[in-house]
Amino acid sequence: MGGGRRRLLVIEDDPETAEQLEDFLSTSGYQVDLAGNGSDGLSRGSSADYAVMVIDRMLPDTDGLAVIRRLREVRIVTPALIISALGEIDDRVRGLRAGGDDYLVKPFVFTELLARIEALARRSATVVRETVLRVGDLELDLVARTVSRRGRNIELLPREFQVLEYLVRNEGQVVPRAMLLQHVWDLHFDPTTNIIDVYVGRVRRKVDGQQAYPLIHTVRGVGFCVRAPR
Amino acid sequence: MSVLLAKTLRSSTFKWALIWITIFGAVVIALFSYVYWSTAAYVHGRSDRAIAAEQIILQKAYASTGRGGLIAAIEDRIANRRFESGIYMLAEPSFAPLAGNLKAWPSTLKGSKGWQDFAAREWKPDAANPPMLRAMFDTLPNGDHLLVGKEIDDLDEFAKKIKTALLWGVALIFVLAAVASVSVTRRTVGRIEAINATSRAIMQSGLGKRIPLRGTRDEWDQLAENLNSMLERIETLIAEVKQVSDNVAHDLRTPLARMRGRLEKACARQRNGDYDQSLIDDSMADLDAVLRMFSSLTRISQIEAGDRTSAFRTVNLSEIASEVVELFDAAAEDERAHLDAVVDQRVLVAGDRDLLFDAVANLVDNAIKHGREAGRVTVEVTQNDGSAVISVADDGPGIPINERQNVFKRFYRLEQSRRTPGNGLGLSLVAAVARLHGAGIEMMDNAPGLKFRLRFPSPARS
Repeated sequence: MGGGRRRLLVIEDDPETAEQLEDFLSTSGYQVDLAGNGSDGLSRGSSADYAVMVIDRMLPDTDGLAVIRRLREVRIVTPALIISALGEIDDRVRGLRAGGDDYLVKPFVFTELLARIEALARRSATVVRETVLRVGDLELDLVARTVSRRGRNIELLPREFQVLEYLVRNEGQVVPRAMLLQHVWDLHFDPTTNIIDVYVGRVRRKVDGQQAYPLIHTVRGVGFCVRAPR
Repeated sequence: MSVLLAKTLRSSTFKWALIWITIFGAVVIALFSYVYWSTAAYVHGRSDRAIAAEQIILQKAYASTGRGGLIAAIEDRIANRRFESGIYMLAEPSFAPLAGNLKAWPSTLKGSKGWQDFAAREWKPDAANPPMLRAMFDTLPNGDHLLVGKEIDDLDEFAKKIKTALLWGVALIFVLAAVASVSVTRRTVGRIEAINATSRAIMQSGLGKRIPLRGTRDEWDQLAENLNSMLERIETLIAEVKQVSDNVAHDLRTPLARMRGRLEKACARQRNGDYDQSLIDDSMADLDAVLRMFSSLTRISQIEAGDRTSAFRTVNLSEIASEVVELFDAAAEDERAHLDAVVDQRVLVAGDRDLLFDAVANLVDNAIKHGREAGRVTVEVTQNDGSAVISVADDGPGIPINERQNVFKRFYRLEQSRRTPGNGLGLSLVAAVARLHGAGIEMMDNAPGLKFRLRFPSPARS
């Protein structure tokens, strides 16, 4: 991966959105290249090594999906995140079928975009097969499926364990609700109710209740984040 | 009326009718001409054969009995009424008459041989117009001239009558065809005109107009009925869209007005870190609610618009129900409610897991929020008579019967639940998902409480 690890390509035709994206992503520590149309994006995408490409679905000269397809034809496997004002259901399927790796519907929350970009960037990095995950004084034994803080056992339901495991694996990153629903429940929609918050709330009560400091944090309007105090 | 006539004459039906009348007319004229000519030829042929037979008889009389015998035979024939229309004349070589019923040998035909048609004054001199005669001229071996013929005015009269009858027939056919085509076309144009008039009225004054029916139950009435029901459907849809956009406008205005008020207040006061932070947080929460509302709306209309049945897989309703119950366990606990699943082992339907999960989740969410506090919510999945049924029941206040159909409308909220959080879209989504899966929704009294039941067609049939 090398130099490409923190480099992003953003193909977006609306100048204001592009500028906002550049601002936000560079503040988050990425080096951002902008392309205003499909052909520019295609030439940049096929020449440089990027960690993730962010591609708008509707471009002035072509369809964002066509750009991805063309890049995949020349064996560019850089993860691609499609952003689109088009609805979520059929377009998500079509976008992913065209070689996109993730999909976000406009308008979106920047934090969620960042979370998804990080997830994609990590995906290409090496996955370490650990058997025990640790954050602060929290310990997850992935083999025994047990959780403890400062040696004290915490009882979790199997699904609650999965939720916590996914959050801990993404330690320090914001995990959007929809991503949690996708990875733990294998459901592909953004719940319109606050049910995920309630569910994670119970996990938090079990994990953070009567402890020295909280580990599970809510990021308003987006999702959750597991983080130990510095 | 004259406008209708002008339209009739311009219409394509009428033009086609004219083309066919022309073709049909030509055939009829050809047929009638043939009838006429063959009748005339037959009548004339018969008369000619009779004349020729007479001629042979008379020649035989001459051959056996000579001039005297021939004269006697001719006199005999003239005296007999049977030969009334026959004309006979025997003349000397100098054309001086010997016998016969002509006053003299026709002056213009001295020396003629064979068949001749002529008008002879010598036949009936007192008639105003000399009648037409047809005769066979011959010269006997002794130089005498013999003429045997018939008056043919009768024949011509007969042929003329046939001709007149045929001409009248053709004329009558043309007139009838023209009248028929005009009236048929006019009827067609009249019905089309009714449809056109309605279309114009709709363009001018909205979808309220309908095409009038004539009660004949013919294909025109059927067309009008179909168009009317199409208009009905369009009108309903437009009314729904209008309702939805009114509601969107209303539901948008509330959070937007809140945000504006908040910003206005902040604008008027000194910057203050804590205060500004809470202002930003509140505004973001309001915006999130607005965005969530939009994504719910687009989700519902996408489910309603597209045929996604091709993406259907076999899914286990029991599994979905159990997972929803597990997911909502925490939420139920918060409300001190009991949430149970009563499920058969495997209840399979063809469907979309995401959508079914979302729909059941919405029903359970409603049951927990609007049911009795510390109440009981039961999700039940059963298989009976080949159809899969999933039901969600609570023991809360229920929904009044007269409100039950309204709850599926977008943004509709019952008075009693105005204060609970929600945007009134959940049941619209449930309804859209059910429709997509061909499932029926029933709302029943759970005495106390409410029971929603989704009945799916069996996978074998779908």
